[in-house]
Amino acid sequence: MRVASDIGGTFTDLVYLDEASGELGVAKASTTPANFAEGVIETFHKADLNVPDTDFFVHGSTVIINALTERKGVKTALITTKGFRDVLEITRANRPDLYNMYYTKPKPFVPRYLRLEVQERLNYKGEVLDPLNEEDVAKAVEFCKKEGVEAIAVCFLHSYADPSHEIRCGEIIRELAPEIPVTVSHEITQEWREYERTNTVVLNSYVLPIAQFYLDNLENNLSGLGMDKVYHIMQSNGGTVTFDMGKRAPINTVESGPVAGVIGAAVIGKLIGEPNVISFDVGGTTAKTSLVENGNPRITTEYKIEWRRDYAGYPILAPTIDIVEIGAGGGSIAWVDNAGALKVGPVSAGAEPGPACYDIGGDKPTVTDANVLAGRINPEYFLGGEIPLSVENARKAMQPIGDSFGISVEEAAMGVIRLADANMVNALKLVSVRRGYDPREFVLIAFGGGGAMHAGALARELRVKKVLIPNEPAVFSAWGMLMTDLRQDFIRTTIRRADQTEPSALTGIFAEMEANAMQNLEEQHVSEDRVMFQRYADMRYMGQEHTVKVPIPGGQITAEQMPEINERFHQLHEQSYTFRLDTLIQFVNYHLTAFGVVEKPELKKLNGKQGNLEVAKKGQRSVNFDELGFHSCPIYERSLLPVGVSMQGPLVIEEPAATTVVFPDQTVTRDDYGFLHIEMTD
Amino acid sequence: MNTDPFTQEIIGDTLRASAEEMFLTLVRTSQSPIIYEVLDCACGLTSPAGDLVAEAEGIPGFIGCLSFGVRSFLGKFGEDEMRPGDVFVTNDPYEGGGTHLSDVTLIMPILFDGQVVAYAANKAHWTELGGMAAGSWTTDSTEIFQEGLQFPAIQLYREGKPIVALMDLIEANVRLPSMTLGDIFAGVASLRAGERGVTGICRKHGISALRAAMGTVLDRGQKYAWMRLKELPSGTYTAEDWIDDDGIGDEPMRVCVAVTIDGEGFTADFHGSAPQAVGPINTTRIGLEVSCREIFKAIVAPHYPNNEGIFRPLRVACPDGTLFTAQRPAPVSTYWETGAYVSDLIWQALYPVARNRLPVGHSLSICGTIVSGVDEERGQFVLVEPQAGGWGATVDRDGESGLVVAGDGETYIMPAEVCEQRYPILVEQFKFNTESAGVGRFRGGFGLVRDYRVLCRQAELTATFGRHRFLPWGADGGGNGSANTIEVYPVGSDSPAIRQGKVARYPLRRGDKVRLITGVGGGYGDPLTRAPQLVRADLRDGFIDARDARHRYGVAVDPDTLTIDETATGRLRQEKRGARPESENEGRVGGDDED
Repeated sequence: MRVASDIGGTFTDLVYLDEASGELGVAKASTTPANFAEGVIETFHKADLNVPDTDFFVHGSTVIINALTERKGVKTALITTKGFRDVLEITRANRPDLYNMYYTKPKPFVPRYLRLEVQERLNYKGEVLDPLNEEDVAKAVEFCKKEGVEAIAVCFLHSYADPSHEIRCGEIIRELAPEIPVTVSHEITQEWREYERTNTVVLNSYVLPIAQFYLDNLENNLSGLGMDKVYHIMQSNGGTVTFDMGKRAPINTVESGPVAGVIGAAVIGKLIGEPNVISFDVGGTTAKTSLVENGNPRITTEYKIEWRRDYAGYPILAPTIDIVEIGAGGGSIAWVDNAGALKVGPVSAGAEPGPACYDIGGDKPTVTDANVLAGRINPEYFLGGEIPLSVENARKAMQPIGDSFGISVEEAAMGVIRLADANMVNALKLVSVRRGYDPREFVLIAFGGGGAMHAGALARELRVKKVLIPNEPAVFSAWGMLMTDLRQDFIRTTIRRADQTEPSALTGIFAEMEANAMQNLEEQHVSEDRVMFQRYADMRYMGQEHTVKVPIPGGQITAEQMPEINERFHQLHEQSYTFRLDTLIQFVNYHLTAFGVVEKPELKKLNGKQGNLEVAKKGQRSVNFDELGFHSCPIYERSLLPVGVSMQGPLVIEEPAATTVVFPDQTVTRDDYGFLHIEMTD
Repeated sequence: MNTDPFTQEIIGDTLRASAEEMFLTLVRTSQSPIIYEVLDCACGLTSPAGDLVAEAEGIPGFIGCLSFGVRSFLGKFGEDEMRPGDVFVTNDPYEGGGTHLSDVTLIMPILFDGQVVAYAANKAHWTELGGMAAGSWTTDSTEIFQEGLQFPAIQLYREGKPIVALMDLIEANVRLPSMTLGDIFAGVASLRAGERGVTGICRKHGISALRAAMGTVLDRGQKYAWMRLKELPSGTYTAEDWIDDDGIGDEPMRVCVAVTIDGEGFTADFHGSAPQAVGPINTTRIGLEVSCREIFKAIVAPHYPNNEGIFRPLRVACPDGTLFTAQRPAPVSTYWETGAYVSDLIWQALYPVARNRLPVGHSLSICGTIVSGVDEERGQFVLVEPQAGGWGATVDRDGESGLVVAGDGETYIMPAEVCEQRYPILVEQFKFNTESAGVGRFRGGFGLVRDYRVLCRQAELTATFGRHRFLPWGADGGGNGSANTIEVYPVGSDSPAIRQGKVARYPLRRGDKVRLITGVGGGYGDPLTRAPQLVRADLRDGFIDARDARHRYGVAVDPDTLTIDETATGRLRQEKRGARPESENEGRVGGDDED
């Protein structure tokens, strides 16, 4: 049995899959911040699972990101190269809120008096200009002890080129203060740029004792119930690591929740023979989207926490699935700005007070209210009828929007939907068209509470190949966790000209990284035959700054392959940036992705005889299809639809936690797995 | 045809998204570090009349400048001459460009159904455009002809193909041709992204919907600016200040403004400012307009999307031939020093009525720095970068430390690791400048100190650090900040051979050290009212010493235990208040240690 547990801000979800029967189960309990393990254990009880039957346990949580954003980490000190202790506070000195002269920079996680300098210096080639002064290190450790520091971060200039000073410094600290956990930068990242690397290692140290305590506690509790050696935690890169590894580098697990949906979308894409997909997750507050090409999610190393367009945030050099997130979810509030323009989001009514139609105190018009007024959401069947919605309240909340433009409430509601859709389209374009991908070659996989409701309209504008709505779209992210492999990314900066790089040197770098990775995966109980490597190089035209990620062949790289690598770079550059240059090429970073492939359950096909269209049809209502007008259209219950059925819109398909809207010019099909496919009718 | 208010809103958003896409493309593909690292560029879309409808910019110093570029080009070419894929170029500071030759504007007409529906334009600082000095700007040029190649609004691409003769001419006249040509390709790729966005809108919504949406964008911008402007009290507000020198002579130059806010709008009048200078610190009338737009935006609409509409209430008056309105062929290559004063003058004038929107004075100068030379390993190199400085305190908190100045924005300073990899330079330290200045109830933020050790046989330093003699201003009893300063330490020496604010092609040898110091920002309020806990925290963090705590802030605190002696503090503060003239205890303005 495979089990995924997702600790969110309000609820802790459990999703499990019994490989023998193919049965998928779900359980939910309140999150218990005082002791997160309690909530997890509660979901096991609710699901009535036999814990020792768990073959693979994956855990995702917001504990680490919350510890960072709520500043609940530990007292941390930084040891760094002499002359550079202020780097952490200087940051990159950028001022993204261009015209706000009152702008405030991000405050460092380590105050100046706990940023300690030691004599040592390398140059960019990794050559020693000044040896490490071990006495300075000893003095710094002494100071940390005196100050009651609870974690130490170490980052030296150019340690990506040669980590020996950092290694020695770490040894001395561990010897003199074995009680204080230490993180040295090269163990987390070997990329250049000292501020970004220093900040990454500082944040790791800041949450390390928290992660350690909480994962130990969870493991102890589950072990008490009989779980054995199968603990994995989701990382931001979309793969998992064992708890032991997660405790050493908790900074790699910051985005452990949202990335699972992308992995789920990639898995479904492979299953239906469509390796190019765009995942699209609409929740209460935001919509998140990410592109998967050839089965591989896009990874970024320019991730930042607390970043906003007008705030610099804190960079984390941890490979993270590249997700574009916008403030347009079901709860996003519609408003009219001072100059009289309609806006949607980013403020959300959240779960409380919630959209006006929930009738629990919210009085602001939200996207959900607009969908109710457009007839798209069935007010009597929200969450399977658990919460009856008040159309009256939705109408009342939307009235001021209509008034300010002198139009009806229905028109105002449609305006809100149209604007939310436009924002979503811009996000979808950002991950596709703007990066040189043609949406017509991609399947849009829509999930979350609101994905299915908006996807049809977006598909009409984006012209994606088709839209797919998976089963149980509301818990799809947790399902995605069940489908993950172990994954570690290793990135190392060494800049060299491509024409001066011997194939053997390139092979050597990757071989060394692969040996490290193999050892790392062995520690995580992965046998050699389950290990798979993917090599990439970040390459650029000489003189440019930004790089393009180019796949590099495995094994021994031959002289014949070098021009192929260069040509591949030219092609990818042209795809992203519309031109190629006849100038020298450089390698900047070497990127190795190591997978520990886990055996995954096969998805069960539905019984072909199941379902009946007449039974599935539960009614008829008037729905607003925007410029295609209002249509009185049939409403179907998803679980009762026959397998293989194909129907022409307009129609609506309902299930307890989601609604699928099919436009008059679209056709929907339910396939063998129960997935809904929406395509434009030719 | 759907032209309801929501469709217009969506088109407005799509125009902005297209401008951002242009920006992203330019920054990602450019080869000039000053574009991709410093974001010294702007991208936008204008109406067929040249009104800016959407803009994405990396630095405020380029705000609204694209409309001037497009309009100058419209005066020269007719719509009937334009074909899809055409690209035009201008960098004329007196007419089209508005700044200096290094800032090059590219313009592409966007056609749909055979008619021009918009223009895509971008302006970016190209690292090399020839001229007397590497990097194409210096502090001692005396006429524009020394400052690089001039493009007086001419065609660069015809129907998607570069005009080879022009490309060859450019290639032959610049020091780093592959970088300069790379910037052209990046700029054109960016324009094409804008073209895709606008033609997409036309296909989906039609040309008339696009036109209607452009009109709405401009009207809404205007309405918004008026609304915010009315929150400020009507009246005339004045300020005067001094610019250190023009780079050639040694004489400070007086500049001044009278800002009038009334029913007519917001008028900035610069009558009485110094005549145009011999050296390159001049700016042109368009540069003046752009600098006024920058601070106008900060005061009335900091978060409103940029478009021509919000600038409609702004009027600028100034006679020809001043430092702010130099005439051809006056040199202008370090125009930004003077442009910064334009916005700082208006800032100072309005400070008394806009305290909640603006901090007190900051280090102001971009502190542009060029180190160039020939390296044994890397060949010819040119490092061009801005520095970050200390910001002024506000009425409720200390100033920000190490932040790029108001004329810069989403500008990233160069990491030491990148600098050392790319140039024959060892960055020996990079830290806060904690010299004692900018004291106040809330103190100024700290500037930075950056040391460059030269690792190649010879190199040259050109730099312009304004506010070297005339310091960032404090207010309401807060002290002035400290100077921006360039120092050069010859190899083996502990004392600087030079210590000044501007330097042109100063020769450097292997082992010489350049120290770049940016100033502390101004302080706000009486330092004797600063919370002792804040003084203690500054002492703990090594930002001040116990002597400063005592003498500047009147706080008695033990530097070892960090305990505050409250009785002694009370006594000290009383003594200090007693010792100064009565008038000083009632809201002084500026004037702390102007030595």
